[in-house]
Amino acid sequence: MPQRFASSDAGDLYSRSAILDPYPHYSRLRAQGPVVWLERHKVFALPRYAECKAALLDDSTFVSGAGVALNPVTNRLARGTTLNSDGAQHDERRKLVAHRLTPRALREMHDQVDAQAGRVVASALERGRIDGVEDLATALPMSIVPDLVGWPEEGRDRLLAWGAATFDALGPMNGQAVRSIRPSVQMLRYAHGVAKDRRLREGSLGGDLLQAVDEGRLDAAECPKLLVDYLAPSIDTTLSAIASALYLFALHPDQWQALRADRGLLSNAINEVVRLESPLRAFSRKVAADTTLADVELPAGSRVLVMYASANRDELVWDSPEAFDITRDATQQLGFGHGAHGCAGQGLARLETRTILGHLLDGVERIELTGKPVWAVNNIIHRLEHLPLELIPAR
Amino acid sequence: MKIQVHYDRCEGHGLCAEQAPDLFSLDDDAELIYHAEGAEVGSEELVRARAAIASCPVAALREIP
Repeated sequence: MPQRFASSDAGDLYSRSAILDPYPHYSRLRAQGPVVWLERHKVFALPRYAECKAALLDDSTFVSGAGVALNPVTNRLARGTTLNSDGAQHDERRKLVAHRLTPRALREMHDQVDAQAGRVVASALERGRIDGVEDLATALPMSIVPDLVGWPEEGRDRLLAWGAATFDALGPMNGQAVRSIRPSVQMLRYAHGVAKDRRLREGSLGGDLLQAVDEGRLDAAECPKLLVDYLAPSIDTTLSAIASALYLFALHPDQWQALRADRGLLSNAINEVVRLESPLRAFSRKVAADTTLADVELPAGSRVLVMYASANRDELVWDSPEAFDITRDATQQLGFGHGAHGCAGQGLARLETRTILGHLLDGVERIELTGKPVWAVNNIIHRLEHLPLELIPAR
Repeated sequence: MKIQVHYDRCEGHGLCAEQAPDLFSLDDDAELIYHAEGAEVGSEELVRARAAIASCPVAALREIP
């Protein structure tokens, strides 16, 4: 017998207060059931781990091609991006975007990223009292990603704001999303100009796209959207993971000491950070054909909301899900998504986070909070805006 | 059970090799090597094999009963 789904119109997941403190909302939805109809957003929320993972793995039923946003405007604007495509077309685009980002390809970049992380940490240590977001978490990806993409120097100062807007636009059509449309379109228009004038360094990811156009493997009209595919998701998200790592280690000095004592825990520690403070809140998928999930009937044409950040705190999967414990096995966290649409840049994100934490482990005895952390307001990206810290150097 | 490896999906993240080092490794070019290709996974490896399958970020590993 099909189960009736729970229904909720209490609270808005995308209100300012829920963005700043989302976890009580996730917890309430998980308690309501595996599939919860959100009347306000006309979407079936999947707040638990098992259903999120099942939906991500069944990418022919829960499709991305009709958009992954909660509003039709963005879903129309985002046509042609890798994020919004399915099947063979998606695989082809992903290969174009991802082949230079795989761990395989990133081996060549390791020394460069590591050296850059060393410089960023050394400069932060010199100052001692820093903003962890600006001086560490932003500094590294901003010094790596634009060069990797071959982006011109003069268009760099707006990348962070543009990228954030591109994510904001993927929420429901609230005030946040409305304000984000203009900068999202600006970014796309700028990328269009950059591609048209061929202002992308040869040998870079962007340069490769131009070459693919020249060789007839890619339609020139697709180039700007693929550039946005590279740039928009590569800064904010990594920034979030690095800043949250600093925040969590400042709150839990015992975990920092455990990591200093055993560097072998580092890659799992990164998974645990991404599990507990997942940079991505949720994306939606369209149901392509009538189906059931957790015995709930979902009609073709409806939408589900894959709640990565909530799945990563699901009591049914994780012991003491709210505890930060770098020794737990957090490999199965869904913070990078999973399956065909799993984050293409996760190798680079892990590399950046690992190298910056590695240099901090070398030089820092303790990370101390010196003020109140401020969280950013964005429909999709959960990240700190300011994180006042003091780095206490190791003797 | 057996494990089916979709090599065209594999991007070489190497998380499976961390979970089940006796079954999976990466060669010098970061190409995945599956050491039990076509064979049944031994009962002593089952837990690690399932952890490896679950850890794959691009779902390139599937369990075949």
